[in-house]
Amino acid sequence: MASILFLVIAAIGLATALGTVLSRNLVRAGLYLVAFFFAIACLFVLLEAEFLAAIQVLVYIGAVAILLMFGIMLTRDTLGDDTTAIPVGWMIPGLFGGLCVFTVLAVGINNSIAPSGWTPWSGTTSRPSIIKQESDPEPAWVAERREAVNDMGRVIGVELMTRYVVAFELAGLLLTAALVGAIALAHRADSAPKPPRSVEQAAGSGPGADPPSEAGEPVASSLSP
Amino acid sequence: MNNDIPLNWFLYFAAASFAIGLVGVMLRRNAIAVLMAIEIILNAANVNLVAFWRYGTPAPGSGPLPGVILAILVITVAAAEVAVGIGLILLCYRRWRVADVDRYDTMSG
Repeated sequence: MASILFLVIAAIGLATALGTVLSRNLVRAGLYLVAFFFAIACLFVLLEAEFLAAIQVLVYIGAVAILLMFGIMLTRDTLGDDTTAIPVGWMIPGLFGGLCVFTVLAVGINNSIAPSGWTPWSGTTSRPSIIKQESDPEPAWVAERREAVNDMGRVIGVELMTRYVVAFELAGLLLTAALVGAIALAHRADSAPKPPRSVEQAAGSGPGADPPSEAGEPVASSLSP
Repeated sequence: MNNDIPLNWFLYFAAASFAIGLVGVMLRRNAIAVLMAIEIILNAANVNLVAFWRYGTPAPGSGPLPGVILAILVITVAAAEVAVGIGLILLCYRRWRVADVDRYDTMSG
């Protein structure tokens, strides 16, 4: 049952990935990408990582796909629509290269090469159960992981605050840097100062309206070197 | 469990998605489409991480959720990358009025 479900989800995922890559219409490619993200979320559910599936839907579908849609909307090509088409002469080498990469990866997956002393991981078909079995004894990590899977949100929070706190702080730093960088990139660097809205307003407002504009100017000039 | 999904299937799916995303990065000329293909590649890597976490034996002292935490960090990095990438593409679009990566050839000799 789970195998059939996996096959259906994988087929949908691969078809939508191909649609994203090969679709001529960019908005259609973005919608295919949303479907691909959703298929990945379904795979996370099949892997019993439901919290990660929720994160996937929220971050990827809710934020990244919408951001890409805004990007598509704002960069309409003014010189014709030929940038979204794939040239026929490139199609064959590109698909051949992709097929070669997939072949190499599949050989690596299929070969069941393992370091000495380790069991080959390639043929693994059973995962440790997340339901407690009373009969047979289990190693400690199975019980630990079962508790983590069954209470994933809390355990992820605890792990992020204890074991992975450095990585957590670095991710926060990266997000802050990305935010500042995106603002600095998208900020329109106008060297010419803005004219006042109207002459009467500038003349008749008196000294009361001056300090906000005075305070606003140095910030704008320092952001646009 | 006997009728469980083999680990291989997840790996094959991730490898195929990775190859498709790589084809997209190589073939597409629109910068936004290239970003979409990069997102496909990162998602394929995430599927691999979570599949190995679920099926494999953890290294001693790695805690209960190493793969999931790494996948969350990958999602964070991907979100930051898309934000900066869209900003860069908008900047290039404003300068050259085109979103074609082949036209951004100011630095070519």
